[in-house]
Amino acid sequence: MELGTRVTGTTGKTEARAQLWKRFKKQKTLHLFVGLGMIFLLVFAYTPMFGILMAFKQYSISTGIKGIFTSEWVGLKHFKEFFNDYQFGMIVRNTLVLSLLKVFFAFPAPILLAILLSEVKNAQFKRFVQTVSYLPHFISWVVVAGIAFAFLSTDVGMVNKALLGLGLIDKPLDVLTNPNYFWGFATGSAVWKEMGWWTIIFLAAIAGINPSLYEAAQIDGAGRLARIRHITFPGMKGTIVVVLILTIGSILGGGLVGSNFEQAFLFGNSINNPTSEIVQTYAFKVGLRDGRFSYAAAIDLIQSVISVILIFSSNYIAKRTSGSSLF
Amino acid sequence: MQLSQKQKDRFMDVLVYALLAILTLSMLYPFYYVLILSFNKGTDSLLGGVYLWPRTFTFENYARFLDDPHWYRAFLVTIMRTLAGTALGVLFTCLVAYGLSHRDLLFRKSYFTVIIFAMYFSGGLIPYYVVLRSVGLLNTFGVYVIPSILSTFFLLIAISFFREIPSELKESAHMDGAGELVIFYRIMLPVSMPLIATMSLFLGVGQWNSWLDSAYFVQSEGLRTLAFRMMEVINKSNAPMDAIAVANSASAGVTSYSLQVAAMVISIAPIVCVYPFLQRFFIQGIMLGSVKG
Repeated sequence: MELGTRVTGTTGKTEARAQLWKRFKKQKTLHLFVGLGMIFLLVFAYTPMFGILMAFKQYSISTGIKGIFTSEWVGLKHFKEFFNDYQFGMIVRNTLVLSLLKVFFAFPAPILLAILLSEVKNAQFKRFVQTVSYLPHFISWVVVAGIAFAFLSTDVGMVNKALLGLGLIDKPLDVLTNPNYFWGFATGSAVWKEMGWWTIIFLAAIAGINPSLYEAAQIDGAGRLARIRHITFPGMKGTIVVVLILTIGSILGGGLVGSNFEQAFLFGNSINNPTSEIVQTYAFKVGLRDGRFSYAAAIDLIQSVISVILIFSSNYIAKRTSGSSLF
Repeated sequence: MQLSQKQKDRFMDVLVYALLAILTLSMLYPFYYVLILSFNKGTDSLLGGVYLWPRTFTFENYARFLDDPHWYRAFLVTIMRTLAGTALGVLFTCLVAYGLSHRDLLFRKSYFTVIIFAMYFSGGLIPYYVVLRSVGLLNTFGVYVIPSILSTFFLLIAISFFREIPSELKESAHMDGAGELVIFYRIMLPVSMPLIATMSLFLGVGQWNSWLDSAYFVQSEGLRTLAFRMMEVINKSNAPMDAIAVANSASAGVTSYSLQVAAMVISIAPIVCVYPFLQRFFIQGIMLGSVKG
């Protein structure tokens, strides 16, 4: 809403200001509500952003927030240290491999599930399958890790016990500790956990397809597969593009299933460390566990900068190709 | 052999149903398995071979869970943080959203810029830790609740929800001389139940499942959450351990593993009881979020 009348001259300006003030006073309770939210964001979102400075400083935790500004500048020292870290190559590789695997597998899985579900005519069965498929999404990764342990651990795991009992293997499979299994297991469990959840959005896309298209195709003699390929799939394309772009923007955190850190933390251990250590877990360990705050902040910052670049470039591509964008 | 179109479609049907049935089973059985394991005698479970129902039925795992001061305490802390975190999170987020939902609010654009920026950028874990330390939240119960009372994601959803509410409702209350706070909780909140249900589910589940904050920001044993305790057991047992040694130290057939399984079931149960009934709401919620997002 614009100010009602347009006035010129100095008297007009003061008048306009007075009017503005009057409007503000009328809204003051609302501004109080919003102001509380702004104070919250200032403390918990914006102050930490200034804290990024410590990545370029020799910060010591005992100096508190003030120390972020008063501590000594060291330039890119911490960044150089990270690049020269003997684990650097391994950590970066693990982060990238895990992230890419999730895009390749966790992204298409809900699309396939949505297509399968759209082919089900029995409404009750469809509803049941959907309800069950959401369940893992609401369960914490800790519990998922506990379940994985109950099935796959070498000493109490049910699968190992069963296979040993049947004589199919002669020593338990060390899926949870062997470095060779970590990437596959992490990707598989992420698909299992989040597939059903992301189906919601693709099913909605399918529901938006004009049913007369299917009828026309049927009259033309198109089979089920042909209808999926030529009607269902093209009908979902817009949604698929948007979700793919969102996924790429958050790729380093694990894409839409966003679980790289929790998985690496919960499923990682001293034995599978060569494949399970990622940038985030490493930053956590050197930062909060070893107390090297500046160094950890620098590592964090590298990852954040890459993520921001990815968000903006995927957003740009989205704007150009599909017309939909985040901002 | 040439199949007719009808036969092909029939074959597709069978395939689709079979695939979905396998998938559903793969998602249900793990939960069922931990459920029966939690009712099976701990020492007996270590022998393996429990697949469909408890072999030696017992309540002992749950009894020990409630007796164990560590587990019981973590259980209470988790219940409290879930209640407090959800209630305050919903209230505060809705309050800020109510203010922002007025289209004629001054400085509205600036407010939104501040929110959107905070949504996409963060200072990262380490500076965040420094801030929590400086405001005195480290190692307190408050660290579970206060930093999460405002969710920017739900803030945006709540704003668009409030805008859909007919303004006549507010205006007539204004006529009667009601202040904004009264309008907010007498009029806006009661007509926003679908929104509140969705928010409560997500914030509640987030609180209930949270263990990162307990690992990062808390040292006091009395403040550990249920998910943190489970994480601890997993971390310990991830390093190869001697299950027999655990069994020997067990009393009344309860092992640290069977206690853990009982804790897992306790952690899953409330979620299973709640989310199927809120399905309609959260499907709307995620659609709204993705349209905005």
